[in-house]
Amino acid sequence: MIDLQFFSTFESNAFLEIAISQLESKGIKKENIFAVPLDNRTEGRKILDSTHHSDGTSLSDIGMALATAFAVIGASVGFILTWGPIYWGLIGAFIGFVLGLTIRLYIEKVVKKKKRVLKGKHSEVILIIDCEETQAELVEGILWNHFALGVAKVK
Amino acid sequence: MNNYTNDNTAKRYKAHVSILGITQIHLRNPYIIAWWSAAFPGFGHMLLSKYLRGYVLFIWEVVVNIKAHVNHAMIYSFQGNIDMAKEVLDTRWLLMYIPVYLFTIWDSYRTTVDLNKIYLLADAEDHRFNTFSLGAVEINYLDKRNPVIAVIWSLFMPGLGQLYVNRIMTAFFVIFWVVVFFYYSHAQEAVSFLFLGKVHQATTVLNPEWLLFLPSHYGFAAFDAYTSAIESNKLYKEVQTKFLKNKYQSASFRLLKGQKVK
Repeated sequence: MIDLQFFSTFESNAFLEIAISQLESKGIKKENIFAVPLDNRTEGRKILDSTHHSDGTSLSDIGMALATAFAVIGASVGFILTWGPIYWGLIGAFIGFVLGLTIRLYIEKVVKKKKRVLKGKHSEVILIIDCEETQAELVEGILWNHFALGVAKVK
Repeated sequence: MNNYTNDNTAKRYKAHVSILGITQIHLRNPYIIAWWSAAFPGFGHMLLSKYLRGYVLFIWEVVVNIKAHVNHAMIYSFQGNIDMAKEVLDTRWLLMYIPVYLFTIWDSYRTTVDLNKIYLLADAEDHRFNTFSLGAVEINYLDKRNPVIAVIWSLFMPGLGQLYVNRIMTAFFVIFWVVVFFYYSHAQEAVSFLFLGKVHQATTVLNPEWLLFLPSHYGFAAFDAYTSAIESNKLYKEVQTKFLKNKYQSASFRLLKGQKVK
């Protein structure tokens, strides 16, 4: 007999699995735990588009590449400038990174205008728990203590 | 001890978690990999987890570059001093530099394109792979890592970011070489002088040829740690999703159509 159900959402991480194992050790059966991993907004599967990049918003790739190039040039020229190679190398790296980042942001925001994965914490798994009235407090506590993003009790 | 013993039943696998690291095939931009090969031969291949040829090409670059004075010639060229650039190059070493340098760029580009295709097939095949490794000398497992933290450690000291994301083959190699470059370039002495405001002394203490190896080292270490963190996070989520689907989706589970209560 099911008394009530807890609905909760989690990020995909180790705490979720710890929460589940805690629930099981407190007597919640496997059949009474239902997990729905969500598909978060992701890139398509195309060889020549954004999936090449290290992630959905790989902002750093051009930046790091240009930072390295500009640092080498800055350090080289720095040997004959007043501030010397280290300052000019760092200045070069900074300018290169900012330039690369600007190019990438321009591509992402203006050229692609593609919807991206939202920043910050987002729900990646829905977890539903069947339990009896007497276990309600315990279950709710376990869910919150393992960083559930939201919990709702349905009766 | 592993949590999965490979029985070689898949045609392709997309990842392998071992004591020494997380070897992962994922989609990459071949131009970015080729760029790292151009910045420093060997880095492109190390990004692809092809460590042995990465090491060989890297060491080759250090030896031949220093002997042929390629970095020195670059410095003079950037300064507009073409005569000195010509003067400083050692023709006894120079010509062998060119074909290997170009091969490295081409080979890493070509390999990336191949691995992208392999990834798509391996991803579709979706075979199980090892995700946990416990041994006498190390422990490694899939977990979520913060890519920003990985970058910050790499910028403090190249190689530390790789330790954070558990890529030991890159970490040890990068840490070893960054010490060599720091020592021969006198970069840390120069930094000490800069803190004291002695800019001129900082410039004169530096060895330009060796200094020029450092920027790409920092750039590579930061980029590699950042990408590795993000990609193993994605892998973690995939593996967890599969686990939850297998274990916690009982057919007898019924939703309660009640009302939300406090």
